[in-house]
Amino acid sequence: MRVPLSWLKEYVEITQSPEELAHTLTMAGLEVEAIEYIGKSWGDKIITAQIDHLEKVEGSDHLNYTKINTGSGQINVICGAPNIQLGDKVPLALPGAQVGDITISETRKFGYVSQGMLCSPRELGMGNDHSGIYILEPETKLGQPLMDLLGEIVLDFSIKAHRGDLSSIIGIAREVAALTKQPLRLPEPRFQEQGTPASDLVKVSVEDSELCPRYTARVLSNIQVGPSPAWMARRLLAAGLRPISNVVDITNYVLLEFGQPLHSFDYDLVPDHHIIVRRAHAGEEMKTLDDVKRKLTPEMLVIADPTGPTAIAGVMGGARSEVSDKTTTVLLESANFKGGSVRRTSSTLGLRTDASSHFEKGLDPELALAGTNRAVQLLTELAGGLAHPGVVDHYPNPVQPRVLDFSTDDVEWLTSMKVTQSEASDALNALNFTVAAAEDGKRMQVTVPTYRTDVTQEADLVEEVIRLIGYEHIPSTIPDGPLPEQTIDRWFEREQQIRNLLIGAGLNEIVTYTLISRTRMVKLLAQTDLASASVLLRAPNRSAAQEEARIQASNTSTATTSFDPHTLPAVALVNPLTADQEVLRLTLMSNLLEIIQENSKHNKSGLRFFEVGRRYLPAETKSQLPDERRTAAFALCGPAENTWLPELARPADFYDLKGVVEALLSGLKIRRYRFTPTQHPTFHPGRCALLELAYENESGDEAFSPIGVLGEVHPLVQQRYDLPHRAYLCELDLEHLYAAVPQQINYQPISRHQELTRDLALVVDQRIAAQDIQDTIVRHAGKLLHSIALFDVYTGDPIPAGKKNLTYTLVYQAQDRTLKDTEANELQERIIRLLNEDFGAVLR
Amino acid sequence: MIGQLEQLLGQLDTLRVRAIEELEPINTSAGLEDWDTRYLGRNRGELKSLSSVMPKLSKEERPIVGQKINAVKSELERRLNEKREELKQRELLLALEQERIDVTLPGRMLPAGTMHPLSRTIQEITDIFVRMGFSVLQGLEVETDYHNFQALNIPTDHPARDMQDTFWVSPGEVLLRTQTSPMQIRTMEQLQPPVRVVVPGKVYRNEDVDATHEAMFHQIEGLLIDEVCTMADLKGCLERFVHELFGPERRLRFRGSYFPFTEPSAEVDISCGLCDGKGCRSCKYSGWLEVLGSGMVHPNVLRNVGYDPKKYRGFAFGVGVERIAMLKYGIGEIRLFSGNDLRFLRQL
Repeated sequence: MRVPLSWLKEYVEITQSPEELAHTLTMAGLEVEAIEYIGKSWGDKIITAQIDHLEKVEGSDHLNYTKINTGSGQINVICGAPNIQLGDKVPLALPGAQVGDITISETRKFGYVSQGMLCSPRELGMGNDHSGIYILEPETKLGQPLMDLLGEIVLDFSIKAHRGDLSSIIGIAREVAALTKQPLRLPEPRFQEQGTPASDLVKVSVEDSELCPRYTARVLSNIQVGPSPAWMARRLLAAGLRPISNVVDITNYVLLEFGQPLHSFDYDLVPDHHIIVRRAHAGEEMKTLDDVKRKLTPEMLVIADPTGPTAIAGVMGGARSEVSDKTTTVLLESANFKGGSVRRTSSTLGLRTDASSHFEKGLDPELALAGTNRAVQLLTELAGGLAHPGVVDHYPNPVQPRVLDFSTDDVEWLTSMKVTQSEASDALNALNFTVAAAEDGKRMQVTVPTYRTDVTQEADLVEEVIRLIGYEHIPSTIPDGPLPEQTIDRWFEREQQIRNLLIGAGLNEIVTYTLISRTRMVKLLAQTDLASASVLLRAPNRSAAQEEARIQASNTSTATTSFDPHTLPAVALVNPLTADQEVLRLTLMSNLLEIIQENSKHNKSGLRFFEVGRRYLPAETKSQLPDERRTAAFALCGPAENTWLPELARPADFYDLKGVVEALLSGLKIRRYRFTPTQHPTFHPGRCALLELAYENESGDEAFSPIGVLGEVHPLVQQRYDLPHRAYLCELDLEHLYAAVPQQINYQPISRHQELTRDLALVVDQRIAAQDIQDTIVRHAGKLLHSIALFDVYTGDPIPAGKKNLTYTLVYQAQDRTLKDTEANELQERIIRLLNEDFGAVLR
Repeated sequence: MIGQLEQLLGQLDTLRVRAIEELEPINTSAGLEDWDTRYLGRNRGELKSLSSVMPKLSKEERPIVGQKINAVKSELERRLNEKREELKQRELLLALEQERIDVTLPGRMLPAGTMHPLSRTIQEITDIFVRMGFSVLQGLEVETDYHNFQALNIPTDHPARDMQDTFWVSPGEVLLRTQTSPMQIRTMEQLQPPVRVVVPGKVYRNEDVDATHEAMFHQIEGLLIDEVCTMADLKGCLERFVHELFGPERRLRFRGSYFPFTEPSAEVDISCGLCDGKGCRSCKYSGWLEVLGSGMVHPNVLRNVGYDPKKYRGFAFGVGVERIAMLKYGIGEIRLFSGNDLRFLRQL
């Protein structure tokens, strides 16, 4: 809210500099966002002047050639504004003047010399009006610096949502008075009334007093619509409004001054002169002042006449009863509408106005009368109006001031500040609260001014007292209450642990938008068919078949296997900011590949990233909360480091990625897991694995459940992201991962008995998974096998084609005795025999 | 006879001198072994040859010659050993010299990964509060209207809803949380006082993105509820927070504000670190920087979760993580955080 300081000074003495005042108010919760000095840049280069001569420039459709009287001489100016007339007094910028970004200089146009420029309000930095030159009052002295006449200081306030009463100059003056201990001088409207009483001229029926607690109507005849006086236009401009005509300007002026929205109807355009305040009928329509036809609903309150709606209550008037320059009699509405209803109506219609934003903060019904009287005074003084006696006032339940019990203990309870009864009552008195102090030196009864709709309980009064005394007086202590038990969930620590483990593996953390589009996610699928798409919705706790059925249900396509990306189920926003961010993500993998793509433009190496975040799997219906799955995902692409060392300069491969997964599992002390080959639409069909963690099933046996997928990105997908190398990607479900982290680890004594080491070199078929061989060895070797390590994988001469050689080192050891060579040898032989039976493995 | 003795001794001297002279320039093990054989050889060494005259000497002469021979022999042996040691040293040095590498070549480093500056900032902030007895919780990002608004004293149709433009999943029912504050409600619904929690997390606002605004950003909510807890405790906790994070020289300023779920409410500013509060471009010449909003939990909020406002009181605050990180690292563009450019990530 823009408040011209000169206007504020009418109601309260300002004893501080604008900066000091802004500081005082800001500290007390009335934030001054900016102080604007209108005219500061004008200096003596913009002066008052008069148009002595005016003629069209030949060859131009809009330019005028003028001679301008500067008070001390005459200069020539070419001007294109449509509104100037001979004899007008105008602001003149002389050569050297700074107008906005340009410096005025002498120019030549159409053969004329132009020695200066006439200025519009916008060019002067006085609001947004650029429709014509700022016309000064006829009494203006010529040749004086414009700053002396129009210079103004404007404070720009940010008004908080609960203080509707501060959206007015008088409201702010009240705060200034309280905070600077100055008396308040409010305008006392005085005017003559004559003619037929208003009650004989207009009938008001309020059908919904709930939504319209008060409705006042006054009638003024003999109105002469015309321009407003310069002083009023100037104030409106400085406050950010464009002057239109005296009748409109006066209602705007009173709105700024009192915060009471007013509406003036052309009395003669209201059939039967009967105002009906009612809810709109279903299907009703009306054209508002901005010439837009609006569809109304029974939720909305309208001002109607017997023929239909003629204004939307508290939002905007209607075109049908609009005041025009032909208007002679005005019906002046000053009403109180319920904030919530106005807010709902204006948001349904997408129509925010000054009036609606005032009403929705909750206005004091008492203000309606003060506002209308001030407007009547101004209309009689400035628009020739004759005020008809009396007000038609529908106000069935006059607002009763709230009375609260309050005590200085309440202040101490919330702030530790010890204030005396008189300090508290002084503060409240300064803010126009009425205080009846009790004799105990603490308690008091506080009557709240009706305009303070925000003050309803003790805590509100505490805030009033301490902001008057000053927040700086609140002491500072460290809470010394009992320490609560530590919590219920360890997810923050866990996620930090995952981050640290992945950073240790040389990965860089990213944090990306969780908002994405379906198309951006479908890009991850090498084939976009139903089965592929269902993978995006999969989670350890949901079966693939379930998800497929789900997509099937939302898929409109006729072919059963083809899939329309727009039907991908996801948590969708009703009001997305961009089409690119229409839904919450089902996977972290899209973001990772996009970030790699972006970074590959500037980096040849080090494209190693991870993200710890959430996937959002939609619930059955939109009103249910989705499943937010804690997830970690990471990706490698190309060499780790651009270096002379070949092992680091080598592009990442599948085993680098798997190594990261294994490092993660080892850091979490998860030891029972396996990787199994799998198919996934994002990945290379021969280079993709499921990570499965072991758990004990109901019958106590070891079973495995998948918690994530890892692999080489499918070449088609890689192409779409224009990646410089083959990329490797992994996504893990953290909730299931942590379910496998041992809660308690028991130390196993380190055996003092001798270890026996045996190597085992096997030749097996290429297609046999090493994991299966190793699982078999471990299973059959039993407790005596202390460790096993695969230390060589070899193909080629002399191993036959289609075969591979796997060499393991097995270490045997017993906890309780020294193993005999023969024991180890027997075990070893048994293992070899079984491997031969199961896999056709032969010793090399 | 005297002449023979003299001569023999003279020969031994000559032998000694010659042997030493020859030993000096030898620089290979082979040469050294040759020398050893030639002078000290058990069979045909020159010393051995000379000592073969011993039996021809008189009883008196024998010990004289014997002593002399031993003296020469042990000296030569000593010198031989020294030389041998010296040669071994030299050969090792030579061998090592051949293994010289360029130690200035870059090492075999797997570059350390980096924590995202937002995660790091969240960690730093939560650590400070954990030291003051707070637990760290997380909440839901997709929330109900009740938890995000109504329970926080922001009824439907309340103008305070304009303070936060909302992304709706189901209008009036389900939304992307606009603040971490719904976790105040969820925490109090689950726990009985005393409560001390901080809640970091993502929040969403349907606002146009620019250099200082993102549609998705991070906040940390703080909540303390107890039988005794006042705004003075809020001030003390936040002072400690600012001093630990930004340094003890930074000053705090509490001023009046409005949040629907706190009463009284306070905006907290810290003195500008660039100008020490004197006023500069970065603080818009005010000397102060806004860092967080806070206040005493509104009695209506306490009632909504079934706490008795006559028995319990507490404070709450909300910090913007991006804002803090921008101040701390001197970052002028918020979109760098979601851009995830390695050149940015690796600096912090």
